[in-house]
Amino acid sequence: MPELSTPPRAAPALAIERLSYFYPSAARIRHSPHQEGVNVGCALRDVSLTLAPGEFALLAGRSACGKTTLLRAACGLVPHFHGGEIEGSVHVAGIDAIASGPGELAAAVGYVAQDPETQIVSTTVAAEIELPLEMRGDPPASRARAVEEVALALAIPHLLGRTVDTLSGGELQRVALAAALVTRPKLVLLDEPTSQLDPVAGDELIWLLRRLNEEWGVTILLAEHRLERCLAAADRVIAMDSGSVSFDGSPRDFLAWAQQADIALETPAARLFSLVGIEPLPVGVRDARSILRDKGVAQGRRDGGPPAETCEPVGSAPPPSAERGFRTGDPRPSAPAEVRNLWVELYQGDEPHDVLKGIDLKIDRSERVALMGRNGAGKSTLLRTLAGLIEPVRGKQEVSGGIALLTQNPSDYLVRERVGDELPGDEGLAALRIVGLEYKVDSDPRDLSGGERQRLALAIALAGRMDGDEMPGLVALDEPTRGMDRARRQDLVELIEGLAGRGAGVVVATHDVEFASAFAERVALMGDGVVIADGSAAEILSGGWYFATEVARILDLPGVITPEQGAISLDREHPG
Amino acid sequence: MRSPFAYTPRPGPLQVASPGAAVTYLGALVAVAFLYSNPLVLAAVGVAATLAGCTAGAGSAVRIALRMGLTLALLIVVVNVLVVDRGETVLLRLGQAPLLGRVDITAEAMAEGAILGLRAGVAMIAFAVYSACVDPDRVLRGLRPVAGRSALTAALISRLVPVAVADATRLRDAGKLRGPAAAPLGRAALLRRLMAGSLDRAVDVAATLELRGYALEPPRRHSLVAAFSPLWGGQPFTKRSRYDRRFYCVGVVVLIAAIAGLALGADSFHAYPTIEVGLGPATVAFSALIVLSGFAPRRRDA
Repeated sequence: MPELSTPPRAAPALAIERLSYFYPSAARIRHSPHQEGVNVGCALRDVSLTLAPGEFALLAGRSACGKTTLLRAACGLVPHFHGGEIEGSVHVAGIDAIASGPGELAAAVGYVAQDPETQIVSTTVAAEIELPLEMRGDPPASRARAVEEVALALAIPHLLGRTVDTLSGGELQRVALAAALVTRPKLVLLDEPTSQLDPVAGDELIWLLRRLNEEWGVTILLAEHRLERCLAAADRVIAMDSGSVSFDGSPRDFLAWAQQADIALETPAARLFSLVGIEPLPVGVRDARSILRDKGVAQGRRDGGPPAETCEPVGSAPPPSAERGFRTGDPRPSAPAEVRNLWVELYQGDEPHDVLKGIDLKIDRSERVALMGRNGAGKSTLLRTLAGLIEPVRGKQEVSGGIALLTQNPSDYLVRERVGDELPGDEGLAALRIVGLEYKVDSDPRDLSGGERQRLALAIALAGRMDGDEMPGLVALDEPTRGMDRARRQDLVELIEGLAGRGAGVVVATHDVEFASAFAERVALMGDGVVIADGSAAEILSGGWYFATEVARILDLPGVITPEQGAISLDREHPG
Repeated sequence: MRSPFAYTPRPGPLQVASPGAAVTYLGALVAVAFLYSNPLVLAAVGVAATLAGCTAGAGSAVRIALRMGLTLALLIVVVNVLVVDRGETVLLRLGQAPLLGRVDITAEAMAEGAILGLRAGVAMIAFAVYSACVDPDRVLRGLRPVAGRSALTAALISRLVPVAVADATRLRDAGKLRGPAAAPLGRAALLRRLMAGSLDRAVDVAATLELRGYALEPPRRHSLVAAFSPLWGGQPFTKRSRYDRRFYCVGVVVLIAAIAGLALGADSFHAYPTIEVGLGPATVAFSALIVLSGFAPRRRDA
């Protein structure tokens, strides 16, 4: 009689053992006889981790800590595509990733990079999704079924017949995800997939991943800076620091660890709870509300908490404007930028479309304004129109004192090999001084950090538009926090405050509600080419769901948007 | 704004046809344009290509190709009459010109230039229809088993061109946004930056192709023999459409008729020493057939 045997244990979705990796440049330095004793930049250092089938893991850490390199190693691009030196082992669903190439691993692992534009290689959406199956040699019938199923799963069947150059950023990201999922891989790796998405699309993508994880059993490894967005969906958090794993555990334990080890990794909800002294720290809005309920702390309007009238806005935010779009009775000296009934038409595909539909907006000197709204709402178009890059078809715009606009890619401003060559003369030096880079005159822009490059690009936009130390009327930044960790975002907040303090009106188009809550005193919310809400940051960022901070979603108190404000409010309502 | 020559997926017969069928059909028209010099036949090919484009929904591509083709044709006529002094019907004597020598404008040189220009214009219209109606992805993938490296290079370039155009637009915009005291962007700096950026982009796109399995050996079923396996009951590897047979048939009929027409003297045209244009029954019949072939992309219910 045959013995009953236990079923074979499934191989881990990802098994990494003592992995160390040097990019080619670092490897060359490492072996150079003149570099003995020099601390060579090791992208990954002795990394070991195992992901079980069906896990949803979040990869956290500051910029340049090794997250992207780890993902590249897990899909075979490191070392097969990027070269360099590797030690240790990587197995994906039992396949040796170092011995096999990315092509051989394609059936077991899907990879979605940060920039959707460069990970689309076909002309039409259907062809893009079908490509991995076609390369593998699947017959048409099975390809057609797989494409249809993945399109249905990601809610994009309506996109299948479209060409990729007609898609928005969010749609492109979904198509890239579909192409990664179509081979039904055991493991999906995502590198900051929400960095270019608005809060609505970002949340949708995270919950879509959770659904795929639960229903398809796909193992997810997601690298992300905006932890508050995805911590609640994750089973496990792996934090990295300088190429090594510094933490590996549950989301709740991660928050406790981050409090001690790296405050920049703390979520706003955890910060709120730690300020008030409530434990355990919450991994998301739902968890936070549940903990508060258990502690007997009533929250906001939904739970029959204190009525809105009794909760005064906390902090330094000024009262909302009396009239939508226009501030009346404002004591500020002059308005450097004002648009009235502004209409802008742009071509989308073959047809012209109204992108701005009668915008009225006024920005005062020293005012810090966040321009928010979903992808395609018209934020960038408004800034580009103000800067004179786009001619409006109707309406008036007045920008006095000049405008300095920093677009989404600061690298586009950097075309020379020396900072001083980009900004010659006294006026160039004055601009560098404003952004705090006067000591980098002889550096190569490529050697600067991401934040420094952004500051240099801003200085290039400012140069010659200042009168002595007096700033131009308006400084505009378009999505400046893409791919930024929290520490760098805080540096940017300080820069913006400095610019406004010198008299410039500062307007920032952003999707990042937490960043907006940190710098903005006023928020203009756009939707489909019109300003749909305009008021103080406290009013706008506490009055909705998607365009609300995590603290505002937890407490649901009017005007309470930051952890500090929340802590004061909770202390006031529940002393002790 | 998208280029009118960019491929746009539509449910039309030419768009859904397999690349082989579409190339056979449009290629047959171009082949006739290069085999024949008779102006009636060339005009018929031009009408057929225009009809094909318009019925396939590529009207704007055809319009722009017509404009470009006409400009090119005029340029060819002007150059030809200036550099060729053959022909007996002198319309104008311009005397001696530096480099060119004696310049006589002859009707024959003008006619020959017009034929060359017409041929170039017709080819441009056919290419515009191809560009707007035939999915480049399917063409490249069809090429992969035959010429893997070339297909990979073409795939990279076809993706990099729109990305480079977008990069150049962004860089130019950033150049306009530089402060007046910043060093001006300059064409050389822009080009250098664009080149460096394109290399980075190429690496990203190549990495994606690698991840999608482009480096894998083409499956054995991808062989040319396998491509014809449906003829003996095999499973087709690439998707076919119900219009494939129509385009293959029209293309083959046009080519056979072209060869037969050549044998029957349908291409009677001589520019020198005096212009002789044959408009015999074979020429007229063949031209009519060519014009009719322009309706091939028409839907049956249209």
